[in-house]
Amino acid sequence: MNDGPLIVQSDKTLLLEVDHERASECRKAIAPFAELERSPEHIHTYRLTPLGLWNARAAGHDAEQVVDALLTFSRYAVPHALLVDIAETMGRYGRLRLEKHPVHGLVLSSTDRPVLEEVLRAKKVAGMLGNRIDDDSVVVHSSERGNLKQALLKLGWPAEDFAGYVDGEAHPIALAEDGWSLRAYQREAVESFWHGGSGVVVLPCGAGKTLVGAAAMAQAQATTLILVTNTVSARQWKDELIRRTSLTEDEIGEYSGSVKEVRPVTIATYQVLTTRRKGVYTHLELLDARDWGLIVYDEVHLLPAPIFRMTANLQARRRIGLTATLVREDGREGEVFSLIGPKRYDAPWKDIEAQGWIAPADCVEVRVTLPQGQRLAYATAEPEERYRLASCTHTKIDVVRRLVDHHQGQPTLVIGQYIDQLDELAELLDAPVIKGETPVKERQRLFDAFRSGELSLLVVSKVANFSIDLPSAEVAIQVSGSFGSRQEEAQRLGRLLRPKSEGKSAHFYTVVARDTVDADFAQNRQRFLAEQGYAYRIVDADDLPSPA
Amino acid sequence: MLDAQVIANQTTLAELVEIVFADQAATRAAIERLLDLALIWESTGGLRPLSGVADALRGDDAAGVSGLRPMSPDPASTSEIAARITTLSPHGLALLEHLLANGGEGRTGTARRTVSVADAATPVEELIAHRLLVPRDGDLLVVPGEVGIALRGGHTTTSRRDEIPALAVTERAAALIEQTAGGAAFDVVRRIELLLDHWGLVPPGVLRGGGLAVRDLKAAALELQVTTSEAGLLIEIASAAGLVTNATDPAGSEVWLPTDSFDTWAAGSVAERWVALVIAWLDSTRLPSLIGTKDPGGKTWNALAPDLSSTMAPESRMLALNTLSELPDNAVLATGTGIASLVERVAWLRPRRPAVHRDLVAAAIHEAGLLGLVGAGGLSAAGRAVIEHDHDTALAAIAPHLPQSVDHVLLQADLTAVAPGPLETELARTLHLLADVESRGGATVYRFTPGSVRRAFDAGWSALEVHEFVRSVSRTAVPQPLTYLVDDVARTFGTVRVGHAEAFLRADDEATLTEVLHHDKADTLGLRRIAPTVLISSTPLDILLPRLRELGVAPVVEAPDGTVRIARRDLLRARRPRSPRTHSAGQARAQATVAAVVTAIRSGDLATASRPAVPTTATTPSSALAALREAIESGASVMIGYVDNHGASSDRVVDPLRLDGGQLSAHDHRSDDIRLFSVHRITGVTPLISGRP
Repeated sequence: MNDGPLIVQSDKTLLLEVDHERASECRKAIAPFAELERSPEHIHTYRLTPLGLWNARAAGHDAEQVVDALLTFSRYAVPHALLVDIAETMGRYGRLRLEKHPVHGLVLSSTDRPVLEEVLRAKKVAGMLGNRIDDDSVVVHSSERGNLKQALLKLGWPAEDFAGYVDGEAHPIALAEDGWSLRAYQREAVESFWHGGSGVVVLPCGAGKTLVGAAAMAQAQATTLILVTNTVSARQWKDELIRRTSLTEDEIGEYSGSVKEVRPVTIATYQVLTTRRKGVYTHLELLDARDWGLIVYDEVHLLPAPIFRMTANLQARRRIGLTATLVREDGREGEVFSLIGPKRYDAPWKDIEAQGWIAPADCVEVRVTLPQGQRLAYATAEPEERYRLASCTHTKIDVVRRLVDHHQGQPTLVIGQYIDQLDELAELLDAPVIKGETPVKERQRLFDAFRSGELSLLVVSKVANFSIDLPSAEVAIQVSGSFGSRQEEAQRLGRLLRPKSEGKSAHFYTVVARDTVDADFAQNRQRFLAEQGYAYRIVDADDLPSPA
Repeated sequence: MLDAQVIANQTTLAELVEIVFADQAATRAAIERLLDLALIWESTGGLRPLSGVADALRGDDAAGVSGLRPMSPDPASTSEIAARITTLSPHGLALLEHLLANGGEGRTGTARRTVSVADAATPVEELIAHRLLVPRDGDLLVVPGEVGIALRGGHTTTSRRDEIPALAVTERAAALIEQTAGGAAFDVVRRIELLLDHWGLVPPGVLRGGGLAVRDLKAAALELQVTTSEAGLLIEIASAAGLVTNATDPAGSEVWLPTDSFDTWAAGSVAERWVALVIAWLDSTRLPSLIGTKDPGGKTWNALAPDLSSTMAPESRMLALNTLSELPDNAVLATGTGIASLVERVAWLRPRRPAVHRDLVAAAIHEAGLLGLVGAGGLSAAGRAVIEHDHDTALAAIAPHLPQSVDHVLLQADLTAVAPGPLETELARTLHLLADVESRGGATVYRFTPGSVRRAFDAGWSALEVHEFVRSVSRTAVPQPLTYLVDDVARTFGTVRVGHAEAFLRADDEATLTEVLHHDKADTLGLRRIAPTVLISSTPLDILLPRLRELGVAPVVEAPDGTVRIARRDLLRARRPRSPRTHSAGQARAQATVAAVVTAIRSGDLATASRPAVPTTATTPSSALAALREAIESGASVMIGYVDNHGASSDRVVDPLRLDGGQLSAHDHRSDDIRLFSVHRITGVTPLISGRP
């Protein structure tokens, strides 16, 4: 019997014992091909998925290496069927290749004729392919490059894209590393992205994804289109780029609801791209407005479906996706793989936290008990009203006030889902509130004030979930969320993880009404936290320090 | 060798050596041995096989091992036959080769049996004319031995017989063989235990033919996370080891149930359990490899089907494993080609086995791999000991390669518990109750959910016991969320209580109820207070009510909808009997007679009116029943022919009402009352077109 740290289960999960002396060695060996699913305190769970194995293939690993890693570190015998399956799955990637042909242009070719025949007969790819050139290759309509890759992935024969990229319009961009420099993992991320051509970089919130984007731009030295989730985050990208690169204000354009500038580097929001007038996407021409050399997708896991379709036409350009998690609540991970590219770099939260780049967080669930009257109201409420009722209970307001008092002087965010509740909280706590209807200018002003320390308490709705850089926040109090969204939890926690001065740890409170759906949803979200390695504590509201 | 002798029948030593395709010295040695065994003997005309040997070797009338027939009594010379073969047309030659390859005999069909070369119209006739195909009794045609030998280049076989087919082997570290085998061995034991534990709760039914339904096999495969063929093997082994058998469940249906020896088995160590299983497998005559394939009748073989066995199975397993055991250390069967080459080797060693034997050998190696006798294509040390029937050595050999069972789990904040190895049986069962299994394999991942904890409470655990248990099995600190989960479930567990009561007593005045409860005579009423204003009783209402009145309370009864029910009893009435004796006899008789006569005449009229022009042909019982059922459903009247207990036959017009227990209850028009008719006395049923009178 081998005394390895890894246990290979027949259902394709890998269990890694963290405290084992060879654990970190093993993690390095399996990380390229196995997706980290959960990382609680003792045993991390990885999963072998076809996408993961293909990601590994794309990164140049072969089945032999994968099998070898499993055999080397496995404590028990590895199920034979699993090994066979790995070899088979990995063998599927790259049987088909997309290539540039000097005469015919884009060509799908294969060394394995039966596979090509199978694919050619599939209904899904009908219409994407042109004439057969010879037995082993067939012309692809260049506009269908993305769609074809997507269809092939669905058929289980992902194609390797060797067709290369257009260079795009050259534009000098350099990182201005004055007084700071790229962190080692950021540099690695950019290198592996550039080496792979296109793909996704997975880094935790607060680990400096913007800088990875900037470094990728500096590498590309070309005009760049940056797609971000909202206007505030667009402004932040702009500020960050001006500060960290040689780009000047005039070179960076914003393309959003209010401003429509197309400059060598253009930052556009998802929303403006997906705006439709009379069923037509009116701002699609932006994608062709310049000869872009690089496209940056911020928060890839939120990429709306229409953008996927647009992206299908941009396959000749280099694409980099930035995200904290590949988990999509809508399960479209496969589209990210085929349209933007395989995962090129991944670093687990805890690792980066251990390196001191993101702040450690203390997660606490505060349980409040509904007063008798509200319990009755809750019990008789319609099912769709229950969550709102439970999460907006007034008892929470009292708890929030006590928590705010407790963290007097520390920059605090109160995050919620329901506007009424937030308004009420804001009034009671005498703090400004940022919600969907708050004008961008006002938001910007409040965020700036919060960042500079003028303001130490801010009540925000879900608009603040993404891409808003509030590095100074030390305490977050979550009073309600969008049901059990795990991704939201990750984002909210992410607000807090920007490194703190003096190595202080952040506090993340979730206020939950006991014995209601609120608690059930909270459990789902917290399971995610626990799986990310953030053990949380549960505290009764009564046990909280009473207001001084 | 012996085969060659039989083909040649009577021949000289030199000739015999000549036709055997092997080293001459070896052939001579073999002949010596056969002489010693007295299977052949030296007659004056040369060597001859013992009479009977030929029959025994060939079985009934089939060709021998090499597929050749005995030579004709006066064979033509080799050169002459060769010359004849060369003159054959391509069709003829092809046919001859085909015949030779397929047992050396055929049917004449339409071919004439005596033809000259010039006359031959078909390839068959051409062969007959050349005397390359000899007619035997009936329409049988055989290729005589000498022709076969000539076609095979002067030998009885096409390939050399003194060359042992080589096994395709590769190098593997002995440690890997042992580890793989150990892993497989452990999996087999674990899976059989898991399956039978499951079957003990939800036993699958026994098919009428005696097997296990395909659906149950698939369910088992799903439960065990294996393929159906693997599940079939596991089930067969469990059955062979006597761990599962068919029995009658409490509901009276035939099911497959774990036996009492399963409990004994489950209590043993993994190594002991494994040895018990492999011994059972080695000696079993069952053919698990055929499960899911079709039998000659085109029916799919079910697992545990009674006929799914062959006496050849144990021998082929031993033969396969023995052959494998001859491999040197570190050499294992090559992936892909290894098993095929082993099958060839076994076929060479035992040339007289029928073709199925090859499949059995291949299956045996495959199954031995799943069982952990063979790992990575090589026989494990334990496997070697098992085939040498040295069970103690086998136990000692397998034990170090089995995963060590562990007595602890690792609890984590995401409410999972990971057992980093096989758990001790008792511990595993307890955890199985407290948590749901998420992933199985070398380790087991359990997840605690409110549902699973509630299940434990249902089974009688208390929150304290659960806390104590998780603390005792966890090697790490119990995460706070788990403690909260258990407490949360404990808090809501049992908040709503359900119980049995025959009646309840409700009063706004608590004192009244207290008085009733403490009354001397109230002991037998089974009263219990469940709330200040509510008592329940285990005595039914109709007994309780008078007793309560005796106690001096004046209760009113509530209807199920809560309204007060008046306590007056329903008045009962019966139908006035039709007995004429209730009135004065004469009056009654007169009345009855008149009424009866009128009714009888009317019904007789009806019967006549509706009697079909053609007399009713006595309908069959089944059609009569069908007609009656139809009449019951449509509410129509029918005319039935009826033979009463005195043997008198009559036609009655009746309105059938119900048909059960061999009796028809129907409204009889003649007697104007409900009567019972024995169905077997009904001679015919004719539907009436008109409705009821």
